[in-house]
Amino acid sequence: MSSNNRLPVVPTVTVLAIIKARLLGATKGHQLLKKKADALNIKFRKVLAEIVKTKTEMGKTMKESAFELTQAKYAAGEHIKHTIFDNVEAAQVKVKAVTENVAGVKLPKFQYLNDGSESKMEMTGLGKGGQPIQNCRTANIKAIQLLVELASLQTSFLALDEAIKTTNRRVNALENVVIPKLENTITYIKGELDELEREEFFRLKKIQANKERDLALKEAEQAMALMGDAFGGGGSGGSNLVDGDHDEDQLFTS
Amino acid sequence: MADPSATNSADGLMIAVIADEDTVTGFLLAGVGNVDARRKSNFLVVDAKTTVPDIEAAFKDFTTRGDIAIILISQYIADMIRHLVHNYTKPVPAILEIPSKDHPYEPEKDSILSRVTHMLG
Amino acid sequence: MYGFEALTFNAKDGYLEALVRGYRSGLLTAGDYNNLCQCDSLDDIKLHLGTTDYGNFLQNEPSPLQVSTIVEKCTQKLVEEFRHMRCQASEPLATFLDYLTYGYMIDNVVLIVTGTLHERDVQDLLQKCHPLGMFDSIETLAVAQNMRELYRLVLVDSPLAPYFSDCIRSEDLDEMNIEIMRNTLYKAYFEDFCQFCQKLGGTTAEWMTDMLTFQADRRTINLTINSMGTELTRDDRKKLYPAVGLLYPQGQQGLAASEDYDQVRAVLENYSQYQTIYSKMGFGETPLLDKAFYEEEVRRSIGSLDLQFHYGVFYAYLCMREQEIRNLMWVSECVQQDQKARIYDGIVYIF
Repeated sequence: MSSNNRLPVVPTVTVLAIIKARLLGATKGHQLLKKKADALNIKFRKVLAEIVKTKTEMGKTMKESAFELTQAKYAAGEHIKHTIFDNVEAAQVKVKAVTENVAGVKLPKFQYLNDGSESKMEMTGLGKGGQPIQNCRTANIKAIQLLVELASLQTSFLALDEAIKTTNRRVNALENVVIPKLENTITYIKGELDELEREEFFRLKKIQANKERDLALKEAEQAMALMGDAFGGGGSGGSNLVDGDHDEDQLFTS
Repeated sequence: MADPSATNSADGLMIAVIADEDTVTGFLLAGVGNVDARRKSNFLVVDAKTTVPDIEAAFKDFTTRGDIAIILISQYIADMIRHLVHNYTKPVPAILEIPSKDHPYEPEKDSILSRVTHMLG
Repeated sequence: MYGFEALTFNAKDGYLEALVRGYRSGLLTAGDYNNLCQCDSLDDIKLHLGTTDYGNFLQNEPSPLQVSTIVEKCTQKLVEEFRHMRCQASEPLATFLDYLTYGYMIDNVVLIVTGTLHERDVQDLLQKCHPLGMFDSIETLAVAQNMRELYRLVLVDSPLAPYFSDCIRSEDLDEMNIEIMRNTLYKAYFEDFCQFCQKLGGTTAEWMTDMLTFQADRRTINLTINSMGTELTRDDRKKLYPAVGLLYPQGQQGLAASEDYDQVRAVLENYSQYQTIYSKMGFGETPLLDKAFYEEEVRRSIGSLDLQFHYGVFYAYLCMREQEIRNLMWVSECVQQDQKARIYDGIVYIF
């Protein structure tokens, strides 16, 4: 592999150990993130399905509550809307934002909240059309509850979408960049180390060969001397072993 | 979860409505309406006289004022300010497109739902 | 007095009676409604209405048409006709016609009071008022800053002032529930109107008493049903019942104590006149009890046309016209919301 897809390291055994540890970490992280992405995806699918379902339901509920309003208007007259508009003070229906935790992702969720304070609306239409108006109110409260639920799903959808994207980016980064890089580094270091080892081996081989050659030469010389002695009557009375056996210093050159 | 009664801001965010008169009337009847001391309300009635800049201003106001968690907007009104709705990406407040009684609901147009269907392929 | 009306009635009111009967014949018939029910869009309705007495009243409205526009325009037509009659009327018909508008006036006043309490824009408030319920000093509303001023500067000049002074002390105005105020005013109005009609005498008194009796009883029954389960106490409820009508005082005693439909029904069973009403009650949910009342109202209104030389026709005409507007609203809403299945539930055929 080309040297630009690896970490700039000195190829030593220590570094190798470090890199190996890093690879291990990266692989583990990759696995975990994969699992997280899966968990998020499962939740995501569920939310999607529910959104589609609730949206359709919403269409129906909204239609019903619109019709309830028609009935209220029929019974109480058009002017009832002004009464309603002018009686608005503080909101009784509110939502509370809470968070739900899915695989470490915080999903904002809304909870329907009715502070239950006595509403002036209760008396609306006392003399005329009260019943349909209350029906309309109930229908609309129901609609609101559904809408709050839908809003939760929708924000969950957005948050999940975002979370899944980040997670996937991380998974991909690990899978396609970090892990290959580490692997390449390891290969590189291993390659370098192997190279060194081979050289070392060759050198040792060479030394051994040299030594063996020298040994053979010397043996041959000795044999010659012995032969001379035997034939020459040993004139010198046997050669001085120390003198004769002049061992040349071995030079390590290669 | 924090105790809701512990802090004031935690005891509820409001629901804002941008819709036609009848839809708003219905929701007000249910009790979502809020008019504060400065006569600032959390709903906008859109009728023939309402201009697009009015709607845009209300939308921007509702999305930034902080005490609103959900904005309900009639789909045909959302269509008028589609560019704003489409570019709005924050999770809170959540934008919810609702059908209005005389405009049947079209899921394809919904900013969120179009993304949903896109996901499901 | 019987029989003698024929001698003098036409001298003053003959023209107007002819006029109102002419208007009456312009009301939509069952055939018209059947045609309207076939419509698929509001534009179709507009087209159909073009062939009736309404003529081109929606001509200048831009598409898409809104139901509220239709209702508004219809009301406008009614108001124009009514004002025309009012201008031609001489006493005591003029006063009688004025009395008819007091109901709307009460609604307007209540609207304004609510608006003032919530510091709404006065110009907006005036626009929301029903045109029939306008009175001269209503324009001066802008000067009133609080309830007491409103009463002192504006309401005392309105025809409703006696109703206010009779039953509401100005200290109460501030904290009184607006709906209770509305109904207290209505109660005073009913009683006053009844007295006025008695004074007129003759067929008018006879027919109007009958009609007002019905209206008062309807109010009583509605109050009873609508106040169930609210914070309104039994005594408060009783105070709001008009002191006229068939149910007064015996039936009201019973109704005041009623806490559910069955009890109301039991009380009403003593009054055979309301058999059509209570027969629709008590069977689980009663979605459109109001419709039963409307039907009864129209039935009685049509009855008024059989008599001559009396003022009841004007009242009857107003009732029928109101009902027609309601019918049109219902039909338009059903068409607009694609609720064709329910379209016949709300229509009260007049002819």
